[in-house]
Amino acid sequence: MDFDFSDDQLSLRDAVARWVEKAFGFERRHALARAGGASREVYGELAGLGLTGLAVPEAHGGLGFGPVEAMVVMEELGRGLVHAPYVQGALLAPALLAQGPQALQSAWLPRVADGSALVVLAHQERAARWRLNHVRTRARLGADGRAVIDGVKSVVPAADEADAYVVPARISGTDDDEAGIALFLVERQAAQVGAYPTQDGARAGEVRFDGAAATLIDASGHPALEAAVDIAIAAHAAEAVGLMDKLVAITVDYMNTRRQFGVPIASFQALRHRIADVKMQLELARSMSYFATLTLGRERAARRRAISQAKVQLGQSMRFVGQQCIQLHGGIGVTDEYLGSHYFKRLTMLELGFGDTLHHLGEVSARLQDTAGVFA
Amino acid sequence: MDLAFTDDELAFRADIRQWVADQLPADISRKVHAAQRLTRDDMQRWARILGSRGWLGWGWPKAFGGPGWNAVQKHLFEEECALAGAPRVVPFGPIMVAPVIMAFGSPEQQQRFLPGIASGEVWWSQGYSEPGAGSDLAGLKTRADRRGDKYIVNGQKTWTTLGQYGEWIFCLVRTSHEGKPQTGISFLLVDMKSPGISVRPIVLLDGEPEVNEVFFDNVEVPAENLVGEENKGWTYAKHLLSHERTNIADVNRAKRELERLKRVARAEGLWDDIRFRDQMALLEVDIVALEMMVLRVLSAEKSGKQSLDVAGLLKIRGSEIQQRYTELLMLAGGPLSVPFIHEAMEAGWQGDQALGGLWPGGAGHCAPLAANYFNYRKTTIYGGSNEVQRNIVAQTVLGS
Repeated sequence: MDFDFSDDQLSLRDAVARWVEKAFGFERRHALARAGGASREVYGELAGLGLTGLAVPEAHGGLGFGPVEAMVVMEELGRGLVHAPYVQGALLAPALLAQGPQALQSAWLPRVADGSALVVLAHQERAARWRLNHVRTRARLGADGRAVIDGVKSVVPAADEADAYVVPARISGTDDDEAGIALFLVERQAAQVGAYPTQDGARAGEVRFDGAAATLIDASGHPALEAAVDIAIAAHAAEAVGLMDKLVAITVDYMNTRRQFGVPIASFQALRHRIADVKMQLELARSMSYFATLTLGRERAARRRAISQAKVQLGQSMRFVGQQCIQLHGGIGVTDEYLGSHYFKRLTMLELGFGDTLHHLGEVSARLQDTAGVFA
Repeated sequence: MDLAFTDDELAFRADIRQWVADQLPADISRKVHAAQRLTRDDMQRWARILGSRGWLGWGWPKAFGGPGWNAVQKHLFEEECALAGAPRVVPFGPIMVAPVIMAFGSPEQQQRFLPGIASGEVWWSQGYSEPGAGSDLAGLKTRADRRGDKYIVNGQKTWTTLGQYGEWIFCLVRTSHEGKPQTGISFLLVDMKSPGISVRPIVLLDGEPEVNEVFFDNVEVPAENLVGEENKGWTYAKHLLSHERTNIADVNRAKRELERLKRVARAEGLWDDIRFRDQMALLEVDIVALEMMVLRVLSAEKSGKQSLDVAGLLKIRGSEIQQRYTELLMLAGGPLSVPFIHEAMEAGWQGDQALGGLWPGGAGHCAPLAANYFNYRKTTIYGGSNEVQRNIVAQTVLGS
């Protein structure tokens, strides 16, 4: 048992933090968000740092790093409120494409690694909410893994900037069957995209496949889809820790400088106890972010339970820390020009990604066993 | 980074598990698993068993006869004891006063007092709080006046847990009124058989005399029982409070009690009640998060590479969780948490035969639930109330 970072991991953290400091200030983020949330340029800069190859095997031109390195990067991207589909392009795409045939991997993974291709997961459907088994999009399989897909995917990240989508589509069964869900790769040109900005200044869209040409990745794709979503939840937990670290830091700074009634507001006990409670939620979240990352390698049932436990903690922490840090700022906290409000909005959107707190509480509840704990 | 324990740590755990399984008396673990009352004899028996193996002072360094375990080994030992249903070790001797005697006591004091603590022979009590000095402990008034080679102690201590069994008591006493309140306090070891000491039990809201008032009326204490220097007692007390930081979270016991909650929920037909089950799931998440926080502290202590300022958080969260499981257990009992049957708290109470066979069959586990809930309101108050802990956390976070 060891929660120290290695020297290499600390160097990686420094490299990302240095880039954030040098190249990604609040002004730039604000401008990108106001312009509609396009992020490919920023994604290209992350590629320039080699970060898009983080999870791609070395054989395909990547770094072949694991979940802890991903966590380190995500914490720093969160701290900097960096605006890029990094989880999608650099963490999920390699995991999903690795399920595909060698030819597909050779064609795509090197481009994923160097950032020249952005591949995103397009899995959400209207009425599915966060159930991964609810898939109405249909695919007809042809020869050589070729297929034709019909359906609509909703709130797809970076939908009009992606080069291709990984699409769960049903090749057999009824709408809620876990069996019969296959994963396909569909290039953007084969789809219709209606894109829009998101609440946290990024970009997403509705993607329609109308007899779209597709390539089979995995004919029984549900386990791989679950595993990818678990990777995303762990990564977002780490991002949230970075976001909360920074948001708490600027809130503490504000409390020590803002004066009312002739004294710094940090001297009021009601506010001191509030920031203590915020610190509590932050440290519980950090603990469960580690837990999520370090349990990604467990077998399916244990992994899913652990990830849901982590998301329940993160969901509660993100909401509490976000809401209270806005409250502690008073009026300035609810303005668009203030940095803190944007951290709050990103934290809020992270709760809605890959299952909210109630959804995952339901998962934990359904998986309750006689014994519990970190090693259960 | 690695979540798993090392092979050595796992082997260590297996050895401890086997030893506890062999040594822990079944009648005691049955009581613990059923949350029934432990007698003085129960607690002493287990303490002596640990003492005979040299493990009652499981946190002690080798130089003082302890096993010299590191933070992780101590945690694993505590976890194995808790999960097996061992009674919580009465902390006042081995966990509280012993480290102070080791750090600040004279060699004579160490030779005189430590063996009796290590073996479990001598029952120690704590004399800190006073009627006028709770969270603001430095306001204590019990005074010790030097007369030749003795101190004459006058005053009153309160909330002395299990003080009715105490043979010795370590006290914070006022030896000077000069300067700040903290600077005039001394750390004194007092034989509770001394003339002038009287102990009066305080019945708590669960109906049990768990704590006591201890009165000192011209009690003569040999000056050689002063630990360290006169007027430095506050420093020693803070040393004591900084000890055993993770143990205070009590996460191992929380895991065991969550298991009991699930057993009671099954027995009372609540397992498939979604609303109740979600509450158990939330508690489970809270416990896993607390355990991860404890493991982070242990890892930091083991490697020495990072310092974590979370001691206050562990106390706050640990105590909140303790209250929450007693609350859910009481709620799980439902209407059968209402009867107040004193004997039901004691071992040997036959739930199925009680009240001439009229007590509902299989519902014996419900009888102690409300009393435990009432009793555990103490956890957010003692050891520095959670509000005082929040002050400490805020001080660290704000730096002001």
